[in-house]
Amino acid sequence: MNMLHHFALRRMRPRLALVGLLCAFAVFATSCDSHRPVRIAVIPQTEGIIFWEALHTGTEEAANPAGVFVYWNAPTREDDVEAQIALVDRVVENNYQGLVLAPDQALSLIMPVRRALAHGIPTVIIGSPLPIPAGGNLSYILNDDEEGGRLAAQRAAVLLKGNGTVALLGINPDIAGVMIRARAFEQFTAQNYPGIHIVERRIGSFNAPHEQQVAEETLRAHPDLDAVVALMSTTTDGALHALDTTPGRHQVKVIGFDNANLSPFDQKSNLDCSIQQDVRAMGQQAVELIQARLRGQSVPATIRLHPRLFTRENMNSPEVRAMLPQDWTLGQWRWSSIQ
Amino acid sequence: MKFPRLPGRRIMIGLFSGLFLALGLLLLRAYLHSPSRGLPYRDSFAGGTSDEWKALGGTWELVNGLMRNDSDERGAKLLTGSPYWHNYSVEADIKLLGTSGDAGLIIRSSNEEEGVNDYSGYYTGVRTVDNMLVLGRAAHGWQEIMKPYPTPGGIRPFQWYHLKLLAYDCQIAAAVTTRSNAAPTVVAINDPGCAESGRVGLRSYSSGGVWRNVVVHPATHEDLVEMLQGVRAQADSEHRNQAIWDSEFLGSQPHSEEEKANAGFNANTQSIASLSLTSSARPTSATVRGVVILTAPMLFVQDSTGGVYIPQPTAPPLKVGDEVEVAGDVHPGDFSSTMEHATVRVLWARTPMPPLSVTASQASTGKFDAEFVEVQGHLTGKERSPDNTLILDLDEGAQSFRAIMNPGRSDYLFSKLKLDSSLRLRGICVVDSAFTHNLTPFVLLLRSNEDLEVLAGPPWWSTGHVIAIVVASLLLALVINFVYHRIAHWRLEAVLEERQRLAHEMHDTLAQSFAGIGFQLQAIRNRLPENNTGVLQQLDLARDLVRHSHEEARRSIATLRPESLESEDILTALDLCARRMVEGGTVQVVCERAGDQRPIPLRIADTLYRIGQEAVANAVRHAQSTILTIRLKYSQNLACLQIEDNGTGLEETNGLLGFGIRGMRRRAQSISADFHIESKPGQGTRVQITASLPPRITLTTWPKLFWRYLREYWNNARSSKYADSRSYRG
Repeated sequence: MNMLHHFALRRMRPRLALVGLLCAFAVFATSCDSHRPVRIAVIPQTEGIIFWEALHTGTEEAANPAGVFVYWNAPTREDDVEAQIALVDRVVENNYQGLVLAPDQALSLIMPVRRALAHGIPTVIIGSPLPIPAGGNLSYILNDDEEGGRLAAQRAAVLLKGNGTVALLGINPDIAGVMIRARAFEQFTAQNYPGIHIVERRIGSFNAPHEQQVAEETLRAHPDLDAVVALMSTTTDGALHALDTTPGRHQVKVIGFDNANLSPFDQKSNLDCSIQQDVRAMGQQAVELIQARLRGQSVPATIRLHPRLFTRENMNSPEVRAMLPQDWTLGQWRWSSIQ
Repeated sequence: MKFPRLPGRRIMIGLFSGLFLALGLLLLRAYLHSPSRGLPYRDSFAGGTSDEWKALGGTWELVNGLMRNDSDERGAKLLTGSPYWHNYSVEADIKLLGTSGDAGLIIRSSNEEEGVNDYSGYYTGVRTVDNMLVLGRAAHGWQEIMKPYPTPGGIRPFQWYHLKLLAYDCQIAAAVTTRSNAAPTVVAINDPGCAESGRVGLRSYSSGGVWRNVVVHPATHEDLVEMLQGVRAQADSEHRNQAIWDSEFLGSQPHSEEEKANAGFNANTQSIASLSLTSSARPTSATVRGVVILTAPMLFVQDSTGGVYIPQPTAPPLKVGDEVEVAGDVHPGDFSSTMEHATVRVLWARTPMPPLSVTASQASTGKFDAEFVEVQGHLTGKERSPDNTLILDLDEGAQSFRAIMNPGRSDYLFSKLKLDSSLRLRGICVVDSAFTHNLTPFVLLLRSNEDLEVLAGPPWWSTGHVIAIVVASLLLALVINFVYHRIAHWRLEAVLEERQRLAHEMHDTLAQSFAGIGFQLQAIRNRLPENNTGVLQQLDLARDLVRHSHEEARRSIATLRPESLESEDILTALDLCARRMVEGGTVQVVCERAGDQRPIPLRIADTLYRIGQEAVANAVRHAQSTILTIRLKYSQNLACLQIEDNGTGLEETNGLLGFGIRGMRRRAQSISADFHIESKPGQGTRVQITASLPPRITLTTWPKLFWRYLREYWNNARSSKYADSRSYRG
């Protein structure tokens, strides 16, 4: 009997071992899942300029207290749409619990974002909208670009005292927000400042040398130009460089958007102001929206944040400094200095 | 030896079958090549179908029951019919859409390709440029005769003409009439080296056109004469010399390519791309020039910088390819602009512009909004919209898009499209949410079904195909298995038949001879005197040898006869065999059966029977036993046969190698059976054969059987390590 029992045990041993392994794996997987932090992917338009680091700061500020892991990656250029699409698809494949996206292109990102939504990933589009209606897992935290256009028009009116010529550079249909800015600027100017004439409109790109060339052509074509409204950061840089290299045009003022420099007014005397979208607040609120969504709470479909006018006068105010990048002390690792 | 029965009959049946098959094929070929198959023919344009027509160039679409080609392409063709049609006529109502070309009918067409005159056949058409009824022959070149149309005003666009083209032998005649002028204008030729057969077609040259009431009739000589009477009447009235030209064409005259320049150009035009930079705050008027790329359901015009959408324009009838000047109010959009309240003027009639080949990713950026592009994609879905337009869903890389086709000519192609096919599409790229509904970045508006090309069908490894292949493989395996077993069964039956024949031969010759020799020896012995002791002893010895040989022969005959297996089960057959062997002796034969009796396949039954026979023979001959026990046990999937005697037993070393044991073991191996002998000197011998029986597989038992098979396999693998050395596995 003992021999039989022993023999039966010997025969059962591999099966028992297999069952034990399965149980251990199940327990391990369960415990891993229960302690796994929420992972949110944040994909700005680009990592190539420092402007978007404020978004990183904002997301980390909201994510760190909640123990949320932030995956941060972006194309090296704003016009590398395929790279951004690949990143969004990778986020879907890796089952992230949330996606924060500043789209590089209004149309091309429709299908990747729809795929993310189809996988049940709460998604927040920041900055500029996509032509997908909000609702369900899709929310928008947008820059109020109409207000940005109005701010630019008001600033131009102040600069030109209600009369003068303006060039509108950097019109880019790829970014819906830029088009909204341009139209708002034109309409507000036409309605309220009939003495201001837009004498030049030019398509913009994310190529700064090209933008500089466009600005130089504009300056040559309009010797009496009073101001340039540059609707994108590359256009702003291009216009300022063009003015630097064109002698005798110190009177031309530049009203820029989304300046990426920490001290933009130091060496650029032509720069009058910069109208900034608050990407830091966008990052904070986007992470909070996703967390609320993951908790099953209802979230607003669309939030619009007001842009801020940066001038030489308010550049060093605490409110403005708070919007600028970047706070490198934030992060997921809880270390401290040893010196 | 058997001979086939009635071979002559079989040969006759084969011959007649072949003959009928050949006759059938000939009849089928004759039907397919018939010069009148499918005649008379009448189009079904009014019914909204035109599946039988094939387009080569142009933008052929069914619109309100009319076949319409909106392009000014030179030599756009639409063909149908049999390539073997010989003597027939084709007629139709035709309306020209342009002022600088012609439109008409093709007859006896073959070797068609896309191109101006790239076909072999005859064409007649009405031409606006010189007001002519033209008739000519194309053979990748062109030669024509023409005749002025007598009506005042000549051939005019947007007016219906009735055109008839008839071919009888090598005489070709064409006639045109209008409602206002019922007397036909006829032109005819006699072409000795004519094209003898071919399809019919519709064709236009440097002008769009509309066709209706296309009818094809077989033609007779009387029909030709009737048409030519019109020619003669005209010839009489016009004092012309002859109506039929004996292949003396007027000479090779190329089609006119003169373009009517439209006076009054607007010098202040701008590029279409620059429209997007006009002010959105103030109403702005602009004038652009471009080529029409789509006319319905809406007008799109494109130049080298971009495209523009023109809703509800004030315009003459436009065709794809027309170069136009558009003046209107600009509404700049994000990617393209719209011109409202626009007036369109036709500058020149040109051929449609080629598409720009782009990827779906490039088209998704909106940079090609309102432009004519070519995109490739994989078909992921197709559906009809509520307004009956045809919608294709496509994927390419990370992007998805839609293509919209008009119903009508595209219906047939739409129904034939298979999901996962690779398609190449040409159409107007539109990113407006009115079309995309924000589901895809862009949609393509296809002009006609010629804008869709199937590059490759769905891959063969689709789910349905894989399932079909698996099922087919299983069926093939089953068939092969069935055939294999049938062949094995037939072979066994042949062996059994041969054995039976040998048994009969031995019975009729050898056994009878032994019996005769025995009788003769007995007769000799009876006549010999008793004192001849030496001879008598030799005769007795010879008689014993003959008797022994006779018994051996009988035994061999008994073992060779298979009838017993066919009529009885193994146990009964072995019992019968053993009783024959021990007949007249003192050995007692005992038969035992255990378990539920079930059928045993013939091959296994025969092997068990032969091994049993050998074991019984060994026991009877050598064992000197008094009891011979034959047992047959049935279990779930096993049959176990035991032959046991209480005789002298075998020496372990030598006995197990002789007495036919090798043969028994070899037979057991042939059916993968276990063969086992237990024997000790003075304690008898037991031979045991255990054979596996095929399981009874049903829908409910196969999982259980499969699991048992796995268990047994596992157990056998384990137990083989500890197998008894006395066990002899077959």
